[in-house]
Amino acid sequence: MGIAQVHLTVVTPAGEQTFRVPAGTSVRDALDLTELRVRAACGGSGGCGACGVTLIGGAVTPPTTAEYMKLQPAERACGVRLACQMRLQGDALVRIDDPAPPSQWRSIPPEELIPSPGALPELPQHVYGVAVDLGTTHIRLALWNRKTGQRMATRRGPNPQGGFGADVLNRLSAAHGNPARAAELAKLARTAIVQAVRDILKRDVGEVTPMLKEIGEVIIVGNTAMLALLSGHGGAALLDPDHWAGRIDCQPTDRTAFQAQWFMPHATIHLVDSVAGFIGSDLLADLLATRLTDGPAGALLLDVGTNTEIALWDGTRLHVTAVPGGPAFEGVGLRNGMAAETGAIYRVCRPVSADISFETVAGTPARGFCGSGLVDAVAVLLATGQLKPSGRFAVSPGPDGFLLDPANLCTALFSQDIDTFQRAKAATAAAMVALLERAGLGWTDITRLCVCGAFGHRLDVANAQAVGLLPPLNPACIELFADASLAGAEIGLLQPAGAAVFAALGERVAAINLAQVSDYDDRYIDHLRLRPIDINRKV
Amino acid sequence: MLDRIIRDYNEAVFETDKDAAFEVVNNALANGLSAEDVVFKVVIPAVEVMMSDITRDPDANLAQHFMTAQIAAEVTEKMLTKFVHPPEIIGRVVIGTAAGDLHSLGKRIVMGCLKALMVEVVDLGVNVPAEKFVTEAVHYGADVIAISAMMVHTATGENGARKVRALLKEQGLEHQIRIVVGGAPYRFDNELYKTVGADGWAADGIAAGKMIVDLIRAGKTS
Ligand code: B12
Ligand code: FES
Repeated sequence: MGIAQVHLTVVTPAGEQTFRVPAGTSVRDALDLTELRVRAACGGSGGCGACGVTLIGGAVTPPTTAEYMKLQPAERACGVRLACQMRLQGDALVRIDDPAPPSQWRSIPPEELIPSPGALPELPQHVYGVAVDLGTTHIRLALWNRKTGQRMATRRGPNPQGGFGADVLNRLSAAHGNPARAAELAKLARTAIVQAVRDILKRDVGEVTPMLKEIGEVIIVGNTAMLALLSGHGGAALLDPDHWAGRIDCQPTDRTAFQAQWFMPHATIHLVDSVAGFIGSDLLADLLATRLTDGPAGALLLDVGTNTEIALWDGTRLHVTAVPGGPAFEGVGLRNGMAAETGAIYRVCRPVSADISFETVAGTPARGFCGSGLVDAVAVLLATGQLKPSGRFAVSPGPDGFLLDPANLCTALFSQDIDTFQRAKAATAAAMVALLERAGLGWTDITRLCVCGAFGHRLDVANAQAVGLLPPLNPACIELFADASLAGAEIGLLQPAGAAVFAALGERVAAINLAQVSDYDDRYIDHLRLRPIDINRKV
Repeated sequence: MLDRIIRDYNEAVFETDKDAAFEVVNNALANGLSAEDVVFKVVIPAVEVMMSDITRDPDANLAQHFMTAQIAAEVTEKMLTKFVHPPEIIGRVVIGTAAGDLHSLGKRIVMGCLKALMVEVVDLGVNVPAEKFVTEAVHYGADVIAISAMMVHTATGENGARKVRALLKEQGLEHQIRIVVGGAPYRFDNELYKTVGADGWAADGIAAGKMIVDLIRAGKTS
């Protein structure tokens, strides 16, 4: 953490909030990551003048030329500034009388994004393109100018199908044999994607409908269930284990209607085919983004999420599988679970003196745990002996649960949360072992482990190793990626070869159905215990 | 000595430490305890202790359930080969996972508990068609058909317990053979078992063992 952190306090008609942000960030960029966004209608160039806020005090950069042009002298005299121009140099206090209407969409923190490659496609027209990572819990997308290779903006927001169940099967079951419900689920995801695109166009470009016509391609990666629910096709096959050995066709049968719904007459809507069974194209995207197959044998990739996907590169083949990691790592299914949003406990520190301390996203009061906070909490409680390797609390925590902060009920962990965590980590660790075995490799052959998905950059690797979620390999071999699936979709969007890159990867894949691996369940039980994975044991 | 063995064994099981549990058993055998005593004085009481502990203790986790069942089943199976006289069997159960469901673990735990409680279990495997549940139950003269389903659609769907119920009805077997179900969806909705036509359900393997033994006993006396 090289960059100094400063505090931005914002007063709105609804109250006061303080956020911790890296120094040098503009007020708009800082707030774009939160639910409290300023109004905006340009990419933050100072061109629209919509982002006015009142500076009450603090250390910020002086007004820019754009601010002199867009703001009246009287306004400036009252302290009005453009949020996109004013950068934080220290703590500051601002007032926003009229924030943007509440929205589910936020920008993705720039440090999470992976730069995309140099070569660009030749495009005479419709140069804009959208890359989408359609996750079970979250949707992430980016708008690109494919000609200039410029990423215009990004968004992340919840998948609104969540109302039909946190996990993929509840949703597939809801849609199964009920065409009206299936249509509703498809519509929810389709609407969400286009709303996110519109949010970008409105706030970062300034023009919506004409710009939609300039979009030439939308490329979507996701797990098989998400693709099936988006297209309204493939779900029935996915519910039947007989179909899992091969690829399940999830392509939409109503392409023209789809394009019309989105008001994108020139866009090719491209759902990247999944691999086999529940193993989706989001995994292929991860593989592209991490360039796993460019390196030597013994490279493992883990995409942690509601539907966790794993790939092992043995130098010639990619052994892949999907495992129900469970939504726990995305903060769903815990009593106090939440996504890694404002107020989520994302890091828990070992007590130096007596108390356990923790950090929350944006430094606001704790509202619950996200995945990395849960991993930390379990590891810390294990280290202090408050939790035993069996997963039981040394002293039963009582009806309020185990409170990290005795004054805040949202910081409580319950025995059931620990059990849920153990199941999710055991399913994941045992699946990695099953892949190693299939490839004839051992843990000590692993030279690279890429961890993508729910934890983002926030995972504490040492803690994940201590509880047996990740193997205790040299930490230098372990790389964390926050938005790898999105980055892979971006590569597909920008490469001159286009989406064919996915097909090429798909050819090297050997899929494994863990339900047919005879000792998987024994391994799963072995891995329930909270202890480091034994990497010297022959797998 | 026995008290000490029982205490050490219970503690090992409670701490889900399988190696320690086997060590206790092996030491006990080495010190002259009979296989019968290991099963009837150590293992079965431990399952019973766990039963009451776990029902009173909402904190018990999957590893504990599994280990209790698995350790108990493994120890019992090993000891049975050393029994001088074959033990008395309480009843017979056929068990499998519902059609479309490949989650085998719940079934294993339930089987472990049943074995340790001296119930004979026939494992029909995973992804078992409703017809097979019924024909095999008839073939083995089972008192109970046990169906495990971990997913919503296999628990509530047309090809699972519902169909088994319909088949039993069709063949006039309803009063002879009971249906019991279990798995995650039933834990979320405690009334679901009725909806799918089952006679009973249980939230975990240990409760399942008790519930099934009770059902068999009730069936034999009525
Ligand atoms: C391990 C696991 C797997 C393993 C199974 C390995 C094996 N050989 O069993 C593998 C990786 C193969 C797998 C595959 C899949 N899984 Co899965 N899996 C799990 C996981 C993590 C644990 C399930 C388990 O074994 N639990 C252990 C059992 C023993 O626990 P339990 O429910 O507490 O069991 C007790 C009681 O229910 C009771 N009981 C159980 N059976 C019976 C029967 C009777 C008669 C009685 C009385 C009592 C009883 O006693 C048990 C012991 O105490 C769960 C998530 C979770 N947190 O539970 C998901 C989960 C069940 N899987 C899920 C999914 C979606 C899948 C897949 C579709 C995903 C995929 N990516 O491939 C496939 C489907 C496979 C198929 N067709 O069956 C979902 C189901 C969602 C839903 N709402 O229906 C879950 C809930 C995860 C999630 N939240 O998304 N899975
Ligand atoms: S001027 Fe600040 S966002 Fe447009």
